[in-house]
Amino acid sequence: MANLIKTFLLTDLLKGLWTTFKNQKPSKVVTEQYPLTRPPVAERYRGAPRLNNHPETSETLCISCNLCALACPEQLIVVTSERNKVTKRKDLTNFTYDLSRCMFCGLCEDACPVDALELTQDFELATYTREGQIWDRQMLEEGPLPQQYTH
Amino acid sequence: MEQLLANPYLPSIVMTVVIILVFPLVAGYIVLAERKVLADLQVRLGPMRVGPYGVLQPLADALKLMIKEDIIPAKSDRWIFWLSPVVSTFTALSAFAVLPLSDRFFVADVNIGILFILAMSSIGALGIILGGWSANSKYSLMGSLRAAAQMVSYEVPLGFATVTAIMCAGTLSMQGVIHSQLERGVWGAFDNYGLMLVPTVLFIIAGTAETNRAPFDLPEAESELVAGFHTEYSGFRWALFFLAEYAAIVVISSLGVTLFFGGWLRPFPNVAWLEMPLNTAFPAALFAVMGLGCLKGVPRQVINGFRLLMLALGLGFLAVGGLFLLPAANEAVIGLFWFLFKLAVMVYLFIWYRGTFPRFRYDQLMDVGWKWLIPLSMGGLIVNGIVQLLVRG
Amino acid sequence: MAATTLEPASVDGDTFLDSNELVLNMGPQHPSTHGVLRVILKLDGETVLGTDCVIGYLHRGVEKIAEDRTYQQFAPYVDRMDYVAAVSNGLGYCMAVEKLLDVEIPERAQCVRVILTELNRVASHLLWLGTHALDIGAITPVFLCFREREEVLKIFEKYCGARLTTHAFRIGGLQYETYDTFEKDCVAFCDLMEEKVKEYHDLLTGNRIWVKRTTGVGILTAEDCKAYGVTGPLLRAAGVAWDLRKAQPYCGYEKYDFEIPTREGADTFDRYIVRMREMEQSCRIIRQAVDALPSGPIKGKVAKVIKPPPGEAYVSIEAPKGELGYYVVSDGSLKPYRVRVRPPSFVNLAALDKMCRGSLVADVVAIIGTIDIVLGEVDR
Repeated sequence: MANLIKTFLLTDLLKGLWTTFKNQKPSKVVTEQYPLTRPPVAERYRGAPRLNNHPETSETLCISCNLCALACPEQLIVVTSERNKVTKRKDLTNFTYDLSRCMFCGLCEDACPVDALELTQDFELATYTREGQIWDRQMLEEGPLPQQYTH
Repeated sequence: MEQLLANPYLPSIVMTVVIILVFPLVAGYIVLAERKVLADLQVRLGPMRVGPYGVLQPLADALKLMIKEDIIPAKSDRWIFWLSPVVSTFTALSAFAVLPLSDRFFVADVNIGILFILAMSSIGALGIILGGWSANSKYSLMGSLRAAAQMVSYEVPLGFATVTAIMCAGTLSMQGVIHSQLERGVWGAFDNYGLMLVPTVLFIIAGTAETNRAPFDLPEAESELVAGFHTEYSGFRWALFFLAEYAAIVVISSLGVTLFFGGWLRPFPNVAWLEMPLNTAFPAALFAVMGLGCLKGVPRQVINGFRLLMLALGLGFLAVGGLFLLPAANEAVIGLFWFLFKLAVMVYLFIWYRGTFPRFRYDQLMDVGWKWLIPLSMGGLIVNGIVQLLVRG
Repeated sequence: MAATTLEPASVDGDTFLDSNELVLNMGPQHPSTHGVLRVILKLDGETVLGTDCVIGYLHRGVEKIAEDRTYQQFAPYVDRMDYVAAVSNGLGYCMAVEKLLDVEIPERAQCVRVILTELNRVASHLLWLGTHALDIGAITPVFLCFREREEVLKIFEKYCGARLTTHAFRIGGLQYETYDTFEKDCVAFCDLMEEKVKEYHDLLTGNRIWVKRTTGVGILTAEDCKAYGVTGPLLRAAGVAWDLRKAQPYCGYEKYDFEIPTREGADTFDRYIVRMREMEQSCRIIRQAVDALPSGPIKGKVAKVIKPPPGEAYVSIEAPKGELGYYVVSDGSLKPYRVRVRPPSFVNLAALDKMCRGSLVADVVAIIGTIDIVLGEVDR
């Protein structure tokens, strides 16, 4: 009997309606206006790669060991270096990183013995050309230029 | 010139032109309201980009639809494919002719107004059926088959609920129904000691089904039939179907408002002391709140043009609110205000369902229609008839 | 059968009127085939006479890629099979290689692995619930589910830096130590889930339309499940309490106190209830694991260069969608000789035809939803 009354009074449906009605409170909105408000990105976020320089001497930290290139599953890192006649060390000449094939797995970052290669919190990586996705040493050291996004 | 002004059909013609010109815009804003309300129900923001808080979104949508490529499938029945959105839109807009927007704003007050609306909404189904069939797509065909079955089944309870209300009112004229509610001093929904609530609820359910709205949106069930009967339509033809759908919603809601919620009457039409708070203070306060809300939103806008628009909107709302404080203006528009206010509540209700309920399945839809709604609406008719006879003689 | 015949269509008098069958191509571009699944439906009116799945639109040759990557290098790829439960995939693969290497995993790593996989199970079920409800026409739950799922993804992001394809585990343990508020975030999420599940129950469980749409739809009995090799919530909704976390515990699951929710009806509604309860049980496991989180190393004794001895290993775990198996063959070199995946979605999808026959078109999308497929995993 109680069930029959419930059936006719549509209580189950009203409960659902009440649930959605309560959601209308403006404070419950969870979406963001993306370019205007940016979500905070976690510290460990694996985004755009960066090639770190020494903070004081601003010389590259990279020792051209090629471990990142070996660790990369997609083989998208190419490290070129030349032997310095004086110090007998390898000097980095160029470092290319093909972002279009990168899956941000972080293996290169893990492999780097000197913390030169790092995945940063930058996540806006769109470019107008495919070539633009291939970052060279300069791009990797300076990072993507800050851009003003409008709507 | 004087002859022209004296023409008794002039107001009707002017109203017709105004409705045809304005309704596409109104439909656009109903769509925007739907998107916004749905977003609210779903903890989202909804359109926010075109204009402040997305208020110009309908214009952008209309522009986009108009400049989109118009595709007619190669193996479709071209003429019928062309005709069906026209049929849908034409019939839906024709029904506006008898809507009693207020005691002085209406195109025509024909003595078979309700019959005319029901007839027009039935023919509207033809547009959907033809559109789905002519596109020569299986999804469209299934959508239109569902539409045909659904329209036929749900017109019966809709009709019975309508007949119950007509029985109470004793007239088929839309204005007459409202006047009878004024005479009896109670809205149709609460008449006969509350027994009229049964046909009211049935009317709302059947009306939702009749306008193909969720949870009865089987003809265009997105997750099953892609887009149902209008799968193959694009651009402006599709916009016409859209227009027809929203016109149908407005018409069915108006019919419900007229039959059960007192049309342009204010709540408690016979309680005299409520005249001031309900007819003057309420609309003025409503528009004042809207206007102040807009003005408060001005500084939040980044773009200058948007700021101006918000400012204009806010001042506009305040001006409309001020209008209700002038006795002469108030008398002219208060009926329209109440009708549109009730209409908006009905439309909100439709959107609210859509945001909450899952969709019925085809066989369950038929089940609900034939095994529940039709017997219940018949029962409601009989019981209300008996009460009517016993009480009013 | 010719359309013009006046003879009864079937001799037993079931249908007198003759009708033509309609072949409807559903997908790969269809709003509710969960990606690029193509189902060819044979219809009589709206009744489904038979279905035929066409898969492979998302085939990327993941198993073949494995043969050209080192053991560590292949780990990010497994995340891209079942991308909504990437952590489970990573766990399965890492465990298989660890079995080959015969390496001991530290307690702390085991515990963090359990927490993350259970979080991922909740996230996967939330995504399933949202899309399943969307298929059945309820358009609101999907946003609510994404709201809760976002909290899980935030924990993943803070823990390992990626949200979806996490690459959270490494062979031998973990790469990342937990962050400062890890335990607090996990418990906060469990609290949030327990509160929000009520909202889903209000929106769906009691709703008569939802009940009508799901009860008796897509029945797959325990016998059928066993015949098709169907596992996961589908099997448990058929009354078989089979969960690898209990049946052959791994990662220390034997230490946690949880139940295997089962139902007897074997229909879509029961699967819905089973998954809802599984989310609650997962939260229970997360709370216990967070409480018991030991300190210690997070990585076992694994060489930088992984070179397992020749041999083979098969490891199966309980992924959100069912039994996920990894079979890895080593020839003693740096790269696996063969990696074979037993994806739950692919195996469960095979039962689609059985479940769909005799139902209506609207049920087909409900059934595809209830199987909970991810095409990345079906096509690999």
